Amino acid sequence: MTRGRLLDVENVEAGYELLQVLWDVSLHVDEGEFVALLGPNGAGKTTTLRTIAGFLKPLDGDISFRGRAIAGAPAHVVSRMGIGYVSESLNLFPAMSVGENLQVGANAVREKAQVASTLELVFQLFPRLLERRDQLAGTLSGGERKMLAIGRGLMGSPSLLLVDEPSLGLAPMATVATFEALKALRDRGVTILLVEQNVNTTLRLVDRAYVLEQGRIVLEGTGEQLLRNPHVQSAYLGI
Amino acid sequence: MTTAATNLRPPPFLRRYLTFTWLTLAVAAAIMVFEAFAHPSIVVNTLVTGGMWALMAAGLAMVFGVMNIPNFAHGELFLLGSFTAFTVFSPIQDALFDDPSLTWLKVVGPIPGMVVALAVGAVTGVLLEVALFRPLRRRSRDQWVMNTFLLTAGVSVVAINSYRLVVGNDFHGVPGYWIFPPINVAGVPISVDRLMVLLISVVTIGLFALFLRRTRLGRAIRAVSQDETGAQMAGIDLNGIFVLTMAISCALAALAGASLLFLFPAYPDVGLQPLYTAWFVVILAGLGNIPGAVVGAFLVALLQNLTIFYVGVGWVDVLPTLFIMLILLFKPSGLFGSAVKGVWEQ
Repeated sequence: MTRGRLLDVENVEAGYELLQVLWDVSLHVDEGEFVALLGPNGAGKTTTLRTIAGFLKPLDGDISFRGRAIAGAPAHVVSRMGIGYVSESLNLFPAMSVGENLQVGANAVREKAQVASTLELVFQLFPRLLERRDQLAGTLSGGERKMLAIGRGLMGSPSLLLVDEPSLGLAPMATVATFEALKALRDRGVTILLVEQNVNTTLRLVDRAYVLEQGRIVLEGTGEQLLRNPHVQSAYLGI
Repeated sequence: MTTAATNLRPPPFLRRYLTFTWLTLAVAAAIMVFEAFAHPSIVVNTLVTGGMWALMAAGLAMVFGVMNIPNFAHGELFLLGSFTAFTVFSPIQDALFDDPSLTWLKVVGPIPGMVVALAVGAVTGVLLEVALFRPLRRRSRDQWVMNTFLLTAGVSVVAINSYRLVVGNDFHGVPGYWIFPPINVAGVPISVDRLMVLLISVVTIGLFALFLRRTRLGRAIRAVSQDETGAQMAGIDLNGIFVLTMAISCALAALAGASLLFLFPAYPDVGLQPLYTAWFVVILAGLGNIPGAVVGAFLVALLQNLTIFYVGVGWVDVLPTLFIMLILLFKPSGLFGSAVKGVWEQ
């Protein structure tokens, strides 16, 4: 089965003022694929997502989405092209209700029917959000806030969802719930690029993964291949 | 001792209302009720000027919340509005002097001036954002609040003196907008102008609140004020929102200036008192809090009118300011807290 290429990151170098973080990073995500980007703290995983999402201009290299160049495009343009981004800090609107947060997520979607059906999907995926619909986002628990951030990301009907460390700071139960939700999304055909430090769980879940160390891609393979890889086993799985 | 203290605690359903904020509002409401019987003119003036301060303060609060700009040129938008209304209304007024039988013109005559002022204010807001704030934002966001404070204070000085140069130091006012006999409300004669101004402010604030709560763009504005990054993730163009925010804020200030032309004639410094009052309101309500600014505007108007009546017009800025300072000693983040924080606080 050949799948269409959705996202192509080629030889990207990126960083902040005096500090270059990414060195010659290349990766790709195909239509319907569930791909993970793994690596230790400070490897440049978040920087990679920020660069794809348009919050950081690459110093060099190309990024294309559905064949169109997006490197250096402003974040709101990238979002409207169909790349949803769920950041590590979530960036929710704390003084708005859960329902309003979701409505803002659909800000760029003009068809009312589509907004309604996506909203239904989000509530199906996270029944908790339906219960808390009128509650202010700032008063939610950590797990609920993650759900809301993922839900808001889905409201723009993205063809690719970038998710940054959903398990960060969550209790084990909430982590499991979040991964379950991502799996359900994958089963519905949403393409996901996931950044994680939770290597064991992630590799059992995804189709393919990249390992990023010190700003460079050092390994690439299917989940099973990487689970059996000696470097992954010694550095990340403690085997 | 502990038991006694525990027994003195109010029941739970009351506790929520025994906070400093609610007590302040209750005292204000009690004074309003008392004065409604004792000196109804204080209540009328409070509602009229309060509505206009609300227009000024809501715009100021929104610009601070969304763009993190402490706009010290907001008063000059008031001036722009009052002078625009004067320019548009003068020929209409002359026509009415020549032929007082034009009843329809007596009714609708003042409206074009206010509409034009609203439009001129909005255009000025767009120009301010595109010509001043956007280039500065592109260059540097360090020290943003301080820089924009200095920038807007500079705009204010330049605008006042340009006005002096072009228009002069004269007062340009009108004796009244709607020249009809006063209407009796509960036995108290109230001028039609005051009633209309109250109506204009209530309708405008109502529409503004609906816009912010119920429309796609209004929600986008609130989203940007709460989290710029989150708003961008949702596909919201920050530059577009900044232009819109500035346009609305300036249009509201210009409308306030236009509506109050019969009380405040256009002259170079006319914007200063409304500016200071709007700042008192915004500080009292909590920076960036728009609904709080509307309530706060009426509180400040009440303080001002009580001061004018009981102490003297010369104290109108002094006593309310002292009161606000006292309130801030107890509630440093403003009466209603601050629902919106600047980006540097997040």
